[in-house]
Amino acid sequence: MSEPNAPQVPEVPEAPAGPYIYDYKAAPNRQIAMPKTVPLPSRQTYLAEQKAAAEADEAKWQKTLADYETAKAKAEAEGKDAPKAPVRPVPRKDDNDLKTPSPEDAKDADLLKLQALLGDKVEEVFEQAGELVCQVKKEAILEALALCRDEAALKYEMLADQTGTHYPAAKDFAFSVVYHLTSISRRKRLRLRILVPEGFVPESACPLYPSANWMEREIYDMLGIRFANHPDMTRILCPEDWEGYALRKDYPTVGWGQRDISFREDRGGMLERIALQKAGQLGINLKQPKAD
Amino acid sequence: MFKNEEMEINLGPQHPSTHGVLRVKLRLDGETITHCQPIIGYLHRGVEKICENQSFFQGQVWTDRMDYCSAVANNLGWAEANEKLFGITVPRRAQYIRTLLNEFNRIASHLIWLGTHAMDIGALTVFLYAFREREDVLDINEAFCGSRLTTTAFRIGGLREDLPPGFDKMVNKFLAKFSSCLEEYENLLTENRIWKKRTIGVAKLNAEDAIALGVTGPMLRAAGVAYDIRKAFPYAAYAEMDFEVPTRTEADTYARYLVRMAEMRQSARIIQQCMDGMPEGPVMAKLPKILRSEVNEVYHATESPKGEIGYYLVGEKGSLNPYRFHVRAPGFINLQSLPKMAQGGLIADVVAAIGSLDIVLGEIDR
Repeated sequence: MSEPNAPQVPEVPEAPAGPYIYDYKAAPNRQIAMPKTVPLPSRQTYLAEQKAAAEADEAKWQKTLADYETAKAKAEAEGKDAPKAPVRPVPRKDDNDLKTPSPEDAKDADLLKLQALLGDKVEEVFEQAGELVCQVKKEAILEALALCRDEAALKYEMLADQTGTHYPAAKDFAFSVVYHLTSISRRKRLRLRILVPEGFVPESACPLYPSANWMEREIYDMLGIRFANHPDMTRILCPEDWEGYALRKDYPTVGWGQRDISFREDRGGMLERIALQKAGQLGINLKQPKAD
Repeated sequence: MFKNEEMEINLGPQHPSTHGVLRVKLRLDGETITHCQPIIGYLHRGVEKICENQSFFQGQVWTDRMDYCSAVANNLGWAEANEKLFGITVPRRAQYIRTLLNEFNRIASHLIWLGTHAMDIGALTVFLYAFREREDVLDINEAFCGSRLTTTAFRIGGLREDLPPGFDKMVNKFLAKFSSCLEEYENLLTENRIWKKRTIGVAKLNAEDAIALGVTGPMLRAAGVAYDIRKAFPYAAYAEMDFEVPTRTEADTYARYLVRMAEMRQSARIIQQCMDGMPEGPVMAKLPKILRSEVNEVYHATESPKGEIGYYLVGEKGSLNPYRFHVRAPGFINLQSLPKMAQGGLIADVVAAIGSLDIVLGEIDR
């Protein structure tokens, strides 16, 4: 048995080649599971999903009915009692304060105005949880922002927030970039959204809203989306020589040289030794099973 | 003998007046600043990434640790953003208690600002006075949730516990003395000649620039824009509260000082109203044991002591953790205005500008 307090030198694995420096083997239980769906809220997909779900439900019910008919006919032919008629299940109602908001048709005047002004550059407008969302074509974002800021009926003076999301499971785009605009004079909020594929360089919002400067730098730092005409497109939170983009879904949470301390495994037996030592000081024999 | 060239110096990253690990690159012409560039990221911990890999509930402890001076306000924004995502209605009593604690937090945060800001400029005494009252607020936090700074006070759907017995006595004791305490601070500073010389006309940021740069909170209100999210987009129980939004038009460091002092008075008013009109009833909404999100994205902004703190959440269908967790930190956006305020001023005034921004680097770098 080695000395209990002997320093354990961790074996530092060699960095594998690749875009990221990480070691999956060190911590298999902490691997990132890549998302399989594209959780992009949208009225169109919501309606399509609802329709598909209703159709599937109906088809299932028709199949149950058909099965019942054949079973009934079979029972009659054999002279047995008829089987019980099926009852269509009613969706269960939960007694709680939960009411998940779903995307609804745009009724707000601002959204309709934007749609009228931008025409076919608008991909989608809807409202969800009381928030106005307008998805525009990725090339037209600067035009949409300029309209929102300067149009007398809109007047969104402040760009409160700008951020992005990575959707690796999506086919024709990889990221969404969202702009949260606030109208101080009219007390309104609006979300503009664009979907950009990998490598696409959207126009920077800096000429219109100077507050976009750092936010776009953060998006570049975390997601790797570059913006055109940005005054200073450099990393902001990570060091300049950082590899990879941390908020992408394929970026691992465990890094090279990081030791995964797992107390349950207690690979070196250190914890057991400490426990035995402490127990010995207290006069408890942990090795012997407790008498009933 | 005299060289006529500009000098570049670093303020920070380790400097007592930067309130954390902030580096400001300054280019000087004599004592006048010609170029100012804040450099951040020294405290980046990847809070957003961590919260995306944890359940909806576990994200809360990270909101405490972003801006540790206003943990309750961060918790409130986080809880409400999640409630918006799931569509939860919070009981009225819980709303009132949240409002109450949030206002106490505003007082505590403003007191720590007052103490450190005055200390940066050279008024050392106020620090001791301000921290004396801040202790009382922290005691109230402790009485409510057992912890003083990183409170984790709220839960999704309401509160974990109702108010403890004897809580109203603590609050009344605090309110009874607080206005005289505020007068004490003001006696030390408001008409102080040195304080006025160091703050009046220093680090100006007019309303147009402030709005363009996305500056919110007391900074914006000191420039004459009466934009307070508690009034503009009421949340918690603020729609039922009677309070004013103090504004000044001077847009300098002194105006920001006056706005924050007036805000503390309003906070005390709101606390009194909460205590008087506290409704009875449950403090937690009826929820299923496991919360699974639907496809939804929300941006919820609340008025933290520093400005607008916004949470942007994206929910995946049937998922236990948020697909995307983003924080719009008020300090991050407000700090962008530092070059605008500092350029053209004197080097000693940069410290006043940083102090009047009221930043916490833990929140800026996340």
